[in-house]
Amino acid sequence: MDYKTTITQNRRVANGVFKLTLSVGALPEILPGQFAQVKLPDGSALLRRPFCIADFDRAAGTVTLLYAVKGKGTEALSALTKGGKLDVLLPLGNGFKFDASQRKIMLIGGGMGAAVLPAFPSAYPDKEFYTFLGFANKKAVICADLKDKSRFALITTDDGSNGERGFVTDKALAEMSALKPDSIAACGPVPMYRSMQKSFAGVSAPVYVSLEERMGCGFGACLVCACKIKSGGNESYKRVCKDGPVFLLNEVCL
Amino acid sequence: MSFNESVTVAGVLFKNPVITASGTFNFGREFEEFYPLSALGGISTKGLTLCRRDGNRPPRVAETPSGMLNSVGLQNPGIEYFLKNELPYLRTRGTVIIANIAGSTVDDYREIAEKAGESAVDMLELNISCPNVKEGGVAFGTLPSKVREVTEIAKAACGRKPLIVKLTPNVAKISDNAKAAEDGGADAISLINTLTGLAVDYRTRKPILANVTGGLSGPAVKPIALKMVWECYNAVKIPIIGMGGISSYTDALEFIIAGATAVQVGTANLVTPTAAYDIVRDLRAYLKENDLDVNKLRGSLVI
Ligand SMILES: Cc1cc2nc3c(=O)[nH]c(=O)nc-3n(C[C@H](O)[C@H](O)[C@H](O)COP(=O)(O)OP(=O)(O)OC[C@H]3O[C@@H](n4cnc5c(N)ncnc54)[C@H](O)[C@@H]3O)c2cc1C
Ligand SMILES: Cc1cc2nc3c(=O)[nH]c(=O)nc-3n(C[C@H](O)[C@H](O)[C@H](O)COP(=O)(O)O)c2cc1C
Ligand code: FES
Repeated sequence: MDYKTTITQNRRVANGVFKLTLSVGALPEILPGQFAQVKLPDGSALLRRPFCIADFDRAAGTVTLLYAVKGKGTEALSALTKGGKLDVLLPLGNGFKFDASQRKIMLIGGGMGAAVLPAFPSAYPDKEFYTFLGFANKKAVICADLKDKSRFALITTDDGSNGERGFVTDKALAEMSALKPDSIAACGPVPMYRSMQKSFAGVSAPVYVSLEERMGCGFGACLVCACKIKSGGNESYKRVCKDGPVFLLNEVCL
Repeated sequence: MSFNESVTVAGVLFKNPVITASGTFNFGREFEEFYPLSALGGISTKGLTLCRRDGNRPPRVAETPSGMLNSVGLQNPGIEYFLKNELPYLRTRGTVIIANIAGSTVDDYREIAEKAGESAVDMLELNISCPNVKEGGVAFGTLPSKVREVTEIAKAACGRKPLIVKLTPNVAKISDNAKAAEDGGADAISLINTLTGLAVDYRTRKPILANVTGGLSGPAVKPIALKMVWECYNAVKIPIIGMGGISSYTDALEFIIAGATAVQVGTANLVTPTAAYDIVRDLRAYLKENDLDVNKLRGSLVI
C-alpha cells in the first residue's frame, strides 16, 4: 500500500550506511524479507528505490530501513532530516515464511544483506534464532544488536577486525550439525549465494535467500526485475518484486 | 452544461480518455490493490505473442534523466493463456480491454489478429514497434510499405474488431507511417512506443542493460511524443491515441490539444501506482470546473 510517511530519524550507523526510521501509522502485516519502494524527494530521480524493511515497531507505528549510500538516490536520501516526508509503498514481495513446526531458524547475513535480519525476531517472537553476520571489516558492521535477540550469534569479518576472521557461511556451516536448524534464511551478495549453492548442498534444512534486481515498479506490473528460477525441471523468469524476493537457494539460477 | 469526459475511438466508447499503456500495467490485477479498474477509460494489455516468450536477460531497466530504458523483450504467457486465464476476469472489470499483439512474421500477425479478433476483447492494438526483440515487429514498423502491408493483413484477419496500429518513433517521418497505417485500413493509431537508447556504466565500461540497448520512456520523451502526435493529427483522419511521458492531467490535456482523442499512461504507473486514476480524477475536475467537453479540445492547438 501507498503511505505518506514522516522521517523520525535518519542517521549514519556504519561506514556509508544509514538508518532511516519512518512513522507510518497503523502498520499492515509485515514479514521479514518484504521491502519498501521509496519515492525520492522532489524530482531527484524518476524511479523509486527498493530497500528491505529492516525492522518494524507495531506499537510505535514505525518501520526502519538500513541503506548504503551508493548513487544519486541514496545520496539524496541521506540528506533528509527528521520531520521530512517520504512517499513509500510497502510491504512488497513475499518475505520469509515459516510454519509452526519450524522453530529453530538460522539467519545468515553478508554485508548489507544483514539489513534483512532484524525484522525476524519482530515478526516471529516465538522462534529461536541462530545468527551469523559477516562483513568486510569492523567499519562495515551493522545489526550487531541482533545478538541480544538470538540464542546464538557470531560476527565474522574478512580481516578479523571484529569478531572472527573468515567467511560467515563457513562458520555457519561448521555449526550446522550442532545447531540443527529447521530452516535457514540468508541474505547477502550473489557470490555468497553461489558459494552456498555448493557448500550447503548437503544441508537438510531448506535454505531461503533474498534476491536483488533493478526494479521499475516493485509491485509486479512491468516485468523488468526478472530472475531465472528452476523448478520441476523447467527454468523460467520470475519477478523478484512479486514472486520473490525470497526464493529457495537451490531453485535460483545465479 | 457541456461537461463531457467520454470519447469514442473507432466506434468504441470510452467513459474517459485515459487508458493504461501496454507493458506498464501487466494484466491489471496488480493495480486493483490501489484502485478499481472500472475508473479507467481502458486498459491495453502487456504485449501478447502467439507462443509464450521468456523475454531478455536481466538487467532489463536503467534509470535515465527523467526517464527509463527497458529491455523486457515481450515476456508474456502467450495469447492462449491470456484468453483463458486473464481475459474472462478483465472482462468483468467494467473498462475497455485492448489486446496489444505482436509477431515476428506476417503469418504470426495474421494468426494472432485472428485469435484476438474472435475473442471478447474490445479492440486490438497492433504492436509493430517493439524495439527490444529482433522479431518484435519493429521490422514491420519502420518502412511505410511494410506498415501498410501488416496493417492490411491484420485488418483482414481480425474481423469486425477495431484495429489500432501502434507506431514507433524510431523512423524518418512518423506521419508517413501514420498514413500507411490509415491506407492499410487501421481504425486508429497510437503513438509513441519507446525510443531506442543506450545507458553506459562508465566504471565498468559496460552497458547497464544486458540487452545493450533498450526503449526510452517517461517524462523525457514527452516533447518528442507531443510533436509526433501533432504531426500525425495533421496527416491522418483516423483517431489518435497519444502517449509518451504522461504523468499528470495537464500532460494529458497537452496531448489532446495536440490532436489525441485519447491518451495512454505508461511509465507513470510504475512510479505512482495510482497515476492513471489520479489523471482521470484531475482531468474530470478540470473539465467540470471549466464546463468543457473533452472532444472540443482535440487538436485545438493555437498556432
Ligand atoms: C528487494 C531489494 C531490497 C534491497 N534492500 C536494500 C537494503 O535493505 N539496503 C540497501 O542498502 N540496499 C538495498 N537494496 C539495494 C538498493 O535498492 C540500491 O542500492 C539502491 O537502489 C541504489 O540506488 P542509488 O540511486 O543510490 O544508486 P544508482 O546506482 O544511482 O541507481 C540507479 C538505478 O539502479 C538501481 N539500482 C542500483 N543498484 C541496485 C541494486 N543493488 N539493486 C536494485 N537496484 C539497484 C536503482 O534503484 C536505480 O533505479 C535492495 C534492492 C532490492 C531489489
Ligand atoms: C516496462 C515497459 C514495457 C513495455 N512493453 C510494451 C509492450 O509490451 N507493448 C507495447 O506496445 N508497448 C510497450 N511499452 C511501451 C509503452 O506502452 C509506451 O508506448 C511507452 O512507454 C511511452 O509511454 P510512457 O512514457 O507513458 O511510458 C512498454 C514500456 C515500458 C516502460
Ligand atoms: S519491478 Fe516491475 S515487475 Fe518487478
